[in-house]
Amino acid sequence: MFLKNYRTVILVGAIIAATLILLSYNLMYDTGTSVLKNMALEAATPFQKVFNLSVSNVKSAWKRYIHLVGLEDENRKLKSKMAALQEELILYKEGNLETQRLKKLLSLQDTYPHRFIAARVIGKELSVISKTLWIDKGKTHGLEPGMPVLVSPGLIGRLTDVSWHSSKVLLLIDENSNVDVLIQRTRVQGIARGAGSRGCVVRYVPKIQDVREGDVVVTSGLSNIFPKGLLVGKVSYVNRLDAGLFSKIHVAPFADLASVEEVMVLAAEQQERDRREMKEE
Amino acid sequence: MIYYILLPFAAILLVVLQTTLADIFFSGWLTLELSLVAVIYAGFRLDLVKGITLACVMGFAFDCLYGATLGLFTLFYLLIFLMVFFVSLRVASEKLYIIFFVSLICSLMESLALVLLYAFVFNFDLSDDVLLVSVLQALLTSVLSVGFFYVMSKTEGLKYGKTIQTPQRTWTG
Repeated sequence: MFLKNYRTVILVGAIIAATLILLSYNLMYDTGTSVLKNMALEAATPFQKVFNLSVSNVKSAWKRYIHLVGLEDENRKLKSKMAALQEELILYKEGNLETQRLKKLLSLQDTYPHRFIAARVIGKELSVISKTLWIDKGKTHGLEPGMPVLVSPGLIGRLTDVSWHSSKVLLLIDENSNVDVLIQRTRVQGIARGAGSRGCVVRYVPKIQDVREGDVVVTSGLSNIFPKGLLVGKVSYVNRLDAGLFSKIHVAPFADLASVEEVMVLAAEQQERDRREMKEE
Repeated sequence: MIYYILLPFAAILLVVLQTTLADIFFSGWLTLELSLVAVIYAGFRLDLVKGITLACVMGFAFDCLYGATLGLFTLFYLLIFLMVFFVSLRVASEKLYIIFFVSLICSLMESLALVLLYAFVFNFDLSDDVLLVSVLQALLTSVLSVGFFYVMSKTEGLKYGKTIQTPQRTWTG
């Protein structure tokens, strides 16, 4: 009768007591993993895997979405950065090319025993009537009209108009340019006159003289304008078919005149003149 | 019978779900105690035997999967269930604000019990760490409880045509 009346109380009390005993036992002995716990964990594993997979997929999708949201902005930033880097790269390339050109120019000093003045090309005129360069050095730098102008590997022209801080260079290919030259192999002399896009034409070489395509043409040093032995170009074509005593020898200059950016002015004569003036004093 | 067979699996599923959700939404610093909500719901709606079973199984699953000392949450959930059960005999459980306050008190009591247990048994003061978290967690549990009760009352309304009336329940079930 007592048990029937207080059945619920006894049940609740018993369960609470059992739970307390379970807790106390675990607190006292710290059993760690038990069979029941292992079973619960084992049963939970598939659920956890499924949830974890779903969460991973959702997280991944979310990250992709966030990534896409930021992608445009990032793309814009990267493009701007790329443009800046390209500019920088161009500058570096330019510097590298300039260094190479200057090295070539400086190598002239080793080839020819003269004093050189380096100058930068600030203007270029390669029209039909005039083939000249405009350089950034003038009288104040020791330049004078007539001084030979070179780029690696040889002569490209001479100074014509020289102001205080700039000068004009008459190129070899200008129709007004005449240079005393000789064929290096056979020592045959002639006068190289500018022929525009065809380079130069060496005149006054008798047809009987031995001149072949590929022969190197150098300055003869007879005119006292150009020192002897400066490279001018290479014979590209020998025309002996025309009437007359002389053959027309076409010479292609060594230097690419269209892409010249720095030049060296040969100032040896000035140096010598200075020395002479000093001696006279 | 099916209730007692499925209950352990449902409990495990619920604990795993709440752990996962807490990890997603709060990065684990706040526990989303859906199991406590279920226990409170059981306290208001189920009979004594079913409710005690649910509280014990839910608590045990929580202990096992949460890594707590075995029996700790089993005891807490059991006591909470009994408290809610006796409260439900006296108050109208249809009122959502009552659900809210009961849930709030239950959650705070659980946190307090945890702090006291750690202080007396392990000689470890948790009060500084638990204070803010327990308040937030209690509020969250209360809101969840209200939402859960609302949804369940609608479901019950659809299923039975009316909600279960608290005054009809006796403490013997």
